[in-house]
Amino acid sequence: MEDRLILSKEHLKSFLRKISKRHELIAPVKNSSGDTLLEAIPSLDEVTLDLKSKPVMPAKNFFLPRSEVLFKYQRKGKQYSFDEVLDDTPRILFGLRSCDLWGILFLDMIFQENFKDRYYLNRRINTVLINIGCNEPMENCFCRSTKSGPFLTHGYDLQLTDLGDKFFVEIGRPRGRELVEEWNYFFSPATKKDREHQYEMILEAESRFHQIVDMNTAISRFMNDEIDERIWDELGNRCQNCGGCAYVCPTCYCFNIVDMPLSENAGERKRIHDSCTFTGFTRLAGGYNPRHEKKRRIRRRFYHKLYYENKKHRRPSCVGCGRCVEICFGRVDMINFIKMVCERGERSLRESSLRLGEILIEAGLLNREELKNALERQASTGESLGTQLIKEGLITREGVARALGYQLKIPENAGTGGSDGK
Amino acid sequence: MENRAQVLLRKMVANIYLPHTAFIKRIEEETGDIKTFTLCFKEEELRNKFTFRPGQFVLVSVFNCGEAPFSISSSPEVAGELQLSIKKAGLLTGEIHRCKEGDEICMRGPYGNGFPLDSLYGRNILFVGGGIGLAPLRSLIQYVFAKRSDFGRITVLYGARTPEDIVFKEDLKNWGKENNADVLVTVDRGDTEWKGNTGPVTNLWEKIEISPLNTKTIICGPPVMIPYVVFDLLKMGFAEEDIISTLERNMKCGVGKCSHCTLGSKFTCIDGPVFTYNEMKELHFLL
Amino acid sequence: MHRVLTTCCFCACGCNLYLEVDDGKLVGVIPSREHPVSRGNLCIKGWNSFEFVLHKDRLRFPLIRKNGRLEKAQWSEALDLTAAKLTQIKDKYGPDALGILSSAKCTNEENYLLMKFARAVLKTNNVDHCARLCHSSSVIGLNHAFGSGAMTNSITELAGAELILVTGSNTTEQHPQIARFIFDALERGAKLIVIDPRRIQLSRFAHVYLQPRLGTDVIWLKGMMKIIFEEKLYDDSFIRMRTENFDAFSKDLENFDLEYVEKVCGIPLEGLRRAARLYASVKRAMIIYSMGITQHISGTDNVESIANLAMLTGHVEQEFTGVGPLRGQNNVQGACDMGALPGTLSGYQDVADNDVRKKFKNLWKTELPASPGLTSIEMFDGKRIHGMFIMGENPAMSHPDINKIRAVLKEMEFLVVSDIFLTETAEYADVVLPAASFAEKDGTFTSTERRIQRVRMAIPPVGSSRPDWQIVCELSKRMNYPMEYDSPAEIMEEIALLTPIYGGVFYNRLEDEWGLFWPCPDKEHPGTPFLHKGSFARGKGHFECIDYRPPAELPDSEYPFYLTTGRMYQHWLTGSMSMRIITLVREMPEGIVEINPADAKSLGVESGEPVRVISRRGTVKVKAHITDDVPKKSVFMPFHFKETPANILTSTAFDPRAKIPEFKVCAVRIEKVQ
Repeated sequence: MEDRLILSKEHLKSFLRKISKRHELIAPVKNSSGDTLLEAIPSLDEVTLDLKSKPVMPAKNFFLPRSEVLFKYQRKGKQYSFDEVLDDTPRILFGLRSCDLWGILFLDMIFQENFKDRYYLNRRINTVLINIGCNEPMENCFCRSTKSGPFLTHGYDLQLTDLGDKFFVEIGRPRGRELVEEWNYFFSPATKKDREHQYEMILEAESRFHQIVDMNTAISRFMNDEIDERIWDELGNRCQNCGGCAYVCPTCYCFNIVDMPLSENAGERKRIHDSCTFTGFTRLAGGYNPRHEKKRRIRRRFYHKLYYENKKHRRPSCVGCGRCVEICFGRVDMINFIKMVCERGERSLRESSLRLGEILIEAGLLNREELKNALERQASTGESLGTQLIKEGLITREGVARALGYQLKIPENAGTGGSDGK
Repeated sequence: MENRAQVLLRKMVANIYLPHTAFIKRIEEETGDIKTFTLCFKEEELRNKFTFRPGQFVLVSVFNCGEAPFSISSSPEVAGELQLSIKKAGLLTGEIHRCKEGDEICMRGPYGNGFPLDSLYGRNILFVGGGIGLAPLRSLIQYVFAKRSDFGRITVLYGARTPEDIVFKEDLKNWGKENNADVLVTVDRGDTEWKGNTGPVTNLWEKIEISPLNTKTIICGPPVMIPYVVFDLLKMGFAEEDIISTLERNMKCGVGKCSHCTLGSKFTCIDGPVFTYNEMKELHFLL
Repeated sequence: MHRVLTTCCFCACGCNLYLEVDDGKLVGVIPSREHPVSRGNLCIKGWNSFEFVLHKDRLRFPLIRKNGRLEKAQWSEALDLTAAKLTQIKDKYGPDALGILSSAKCTNEENYLLMKFARAVLKTNNVDHCARLCHSSSVIGLNHAFGSGAMTNSITELAGAELILVTGSNTTEQHPQIARFIFDALERGAKLIVIDPRRIQLSRFAHVYLQPRLGTDVIWLKGMMKIIFEEKLYDDSFIRMRTENFDAFSKDLENFDLEYVEKVCGIPLEGLRRAARLYASVKRAMIIYSMGITQHISGTDNVESIANLAMLTGHVEQEFTGVGPLRGQNNVQGACDMGALPGTLSGYQDVADNDVRKKFKNLWKTELPASPGLTSIEMFDGKRIHGMFIMGENPAMSHPDINKIRAVLKEMEFLVVSDIFLTETAEYADVVLPAASFAEKDGTFTSTERRIQRVRMAIPPVGSSRPDWQIVCELSKRMNYPMEYDSPAEIMEEIALLTPIYGGVFYNRLEDEWGLFWPCPDKEHPGTPFLHKGSFARGKGHFECIDYRPPAELPDSEYPFYLTTGRMYQHWLTGSMSMRIITLVREMPEGIVEINPADAKSLGVESGEPVRVISRRGTVKVKAHITDDVPKKSVFMPFHFKETPANILTSTAFDPRAKIPEFKVCAVRIEKVQ
């Protein structure tokens, strides 16, 4: 079978009906309230497929659900027993946006590297992904800047292009080929004209973006350490801690593992979506929190998405879907952030002061007058400044330790790794 | 009907989140709020197969109370069991402390990189511990003692707040004599019976002999201790990669997925928790 | 998996969301993108609103107190006992020995039925709910000035305002979606004035930010009006054509001395002058306020002063322009609309009005009591009430001076509580009835912008719990007044018949266009996004002369600190729901008291250390959180936490007109815990 085919529009429903016999069919549906959601479709005749707009939530939730039971546990007497809960449902995700599909490919890397995540992979290998290229990018879309749309060159099982009266179908991974081969009578080979037509659609779509975002400059700012640190203060002031940006992001995969008691002796261990912008995300049982300030959490979010992932996986974990742009309460979104970074490349303030006294002053533990006097006395006693300050009762041993740790660039809370629990 | 990928997945990929039951073989009280639990996996096959490296940790859970990481405090040389020294602090640890010998808890692991054993062979080793930070060190100390001839001079410095807070009292008493090692203990505040050293652990430098050029230092202890020790070691001329410590972060999955414990692009749970000082310096500003 | 569109159960923004149902369990939440307020996002509470529903602690069967302990019982047993006891008390002491607390968390239909139960079955007007504690002063004050006690405009209009004045509202934390519209307005170049004793997130974006002393709102409001008056920035034609009593009011202003502003409020007069000029100079200005204004003994005065300010500059009666009291709970607007108030039947129809009662009597087929009943505060005086039915409220946590409230609850001859969890109040009950949560029933909520929206059942009631409307029907039947409704839709049909402002509200109309704004008098009426178009609801707007009254309890040498109380972003009210959501508990696990760094230093307290907060009523040990968001000599405590309940400390002094307690000011002393 050829790799490029034509599916006429009138055959779409018949084709979907056929393939939904052995799979749960998931597709974007516009409901009576006007919201487009990816829905399981029991009957194709009762829903309105929406192949034009981006669903409210990304496809990620079908692989890493908002909340899922990992296993159920029970205690009888002093003995435990547990049952794994694995989702084996074969699914077809039809009509995905390219950005959402690209997001899944990103998650594939995360959940396959090092320790393999069986819950994710179990769903993943049972799922066929069919995307449809976006002829008309929506208001906040910027997938062109993240190279994850509006059309994909690989990664899909099947990719559709709307050519007006018919769909141009590209076969990607083997699952797609299997489907097309099984139901080959719906398809006809694409002509040269069709191919040209599709190519024109791609070019045209690429020219239609409302948002042009300079992702490359932003990433190079990170690499060259040229982020103006004041940006974090500004964004921290605006963030309202809703966690929405992580919940709607196709690539955010932070999760929490929690026990949900059902009774005294039984319960479920669940995994639920989490967000690195929450205070409790990094707080330790004893109360210490390495990302206590909101600006540090925002900083983590953007460093992670644009810099660390780029370093580790050679791509930023942003697929340009624009959902965070659409929903943020305070414009702490990707487009706004990248604009800020690009407009204001400045040397970061990190290396500023590495003298103990200056660090103590910056932390508000000492004033300049006190430092001056202490230095004078230190000259006569010959003690180190820290010891001198502790002896004089100006600063506690913990205070000096923190400043010293900063000076020596020791990450906070070093030393007790793994042994404290909670 | 399963396809090939499904069969492979079922056979090849273990469920990393599923814990195994283990029974408590022995409980020893270390201090008022720290107990050492000796644990054995219930499944015999697992019990025999289970190995770990010093410095690694396991995730322990009591159902309905959640899961948390604890570093292993016993030597890997002792087969079929492991020890955890647990301080009572919250819901889960409180529940574990209520357990009696013979009770079951759940465990998965081992996780983490552990101490860099390869780089330690043939070198002098200086252990600096504080508080419950001696627990992960003890695993390595016992391992080193078991292979005593592979290592040079061994020194153990340990500091606690008061004499009652000293953990592994018996070990500290015997290690030196039995293994040709220097073991020094100090407390911040002594009591009437205390005749040993007082003051921070850094007060012990003058009582030992260290050659910075051929010694690896491994530090575990409260955050307030670490900078002082590192500061002094650097002043003595230690190379940055010869100073080794651990990092503690909020951990959930233990397997490098959930992202709670990240520092820059590293996961404390799989890239750590053990880092050399020069690695730590790289991570300092990364959040 | 399927999804059910419904209205959020937390604050009164009225976000719509989809509850995700899998195998009969709630597994997630998706915000509606098309909904004009949600716009694709929710606050942290909304995103996690599915989690408490199936919590292990949910009440799954009725409980009856036997030998001092609450024990499992059958529904019939619990209902029979309740009906018998209520009847017994009514016969023994008269109907006014019974008190009913309705609930701003329950649906309109449930509130309507419970208020009908009180009046038609028990024959008492002793029915109230927690609006008494939050916006009763708004209802009275704005009603007096404008003729309607609700928010004059819709939420979305905020984005089109040229200036927004926020006072006594921590909008980003308590009404995040409304704050989002304020940010939108700022993006479009609007000006923002924030006047709040506590430095809130919005104040960082304010063009003018003023930090007056607690309880001095009448002074700065009057000062602002005096400046506008002196500088002739007022809207003369608006005042002449649309308002009354201006002459007396302007004389009162003339006599006011601006020196008071700095002296009493402690804010620079220059700052206030800038605020006054900004406010008066634009055409479309909105005032947003909340409990910082209402929860004072001068709450009604404060609200009337705000109304005066808006009328003085002609900032009402138009789109994008008006006064917005932000209601705190999902259906507190609706509970008021439904007449769960001692003085009014549904639609604010006066219970003392013979014609009104006659109308209700015709439909309800029974005589109704005429004299207004007791408020939620008065019911707890320990004298007049012998039996109570409390639906979904938690006065043992939410009322001021809860030690006293708890003593009264304990002594109550008969107490029945219907709730979803065993609340602190339910622990005192003789009968506890398990109620269904918002996810398990149909109905409607009315949001702060008067938008009536559907609540839809996503899963069947947990255990043997039942929706409150069914509980009320069952009780009523047992007390010889059968209430027969097949569904909440049928109840709404009755509400529409009796309630002019809801006259056109029918379930089929609520399906499209995201609900209806009341007033909606008939089936053809499209609803009313902004009120008082063309003229005030009462005819002419009324200027009231207000004199300043200081708070009832001021700091002195023994209790040198001001205490003010309120809510935090992560939790909701008395925490019975939010403290059962893992992510929310993790964000904010325990209570705090916010202390200014200067005070902390002089007390020798560091952040995270426990302190004792002591008032004349009691003592709470709580962790100190040191922040300069609170001014010197003032501390702030949230009231969510049962381990550290701020309401042990608060004073019972209340506004004489609205009977709203002064939660926002009392005097305390702070002691370091050694």
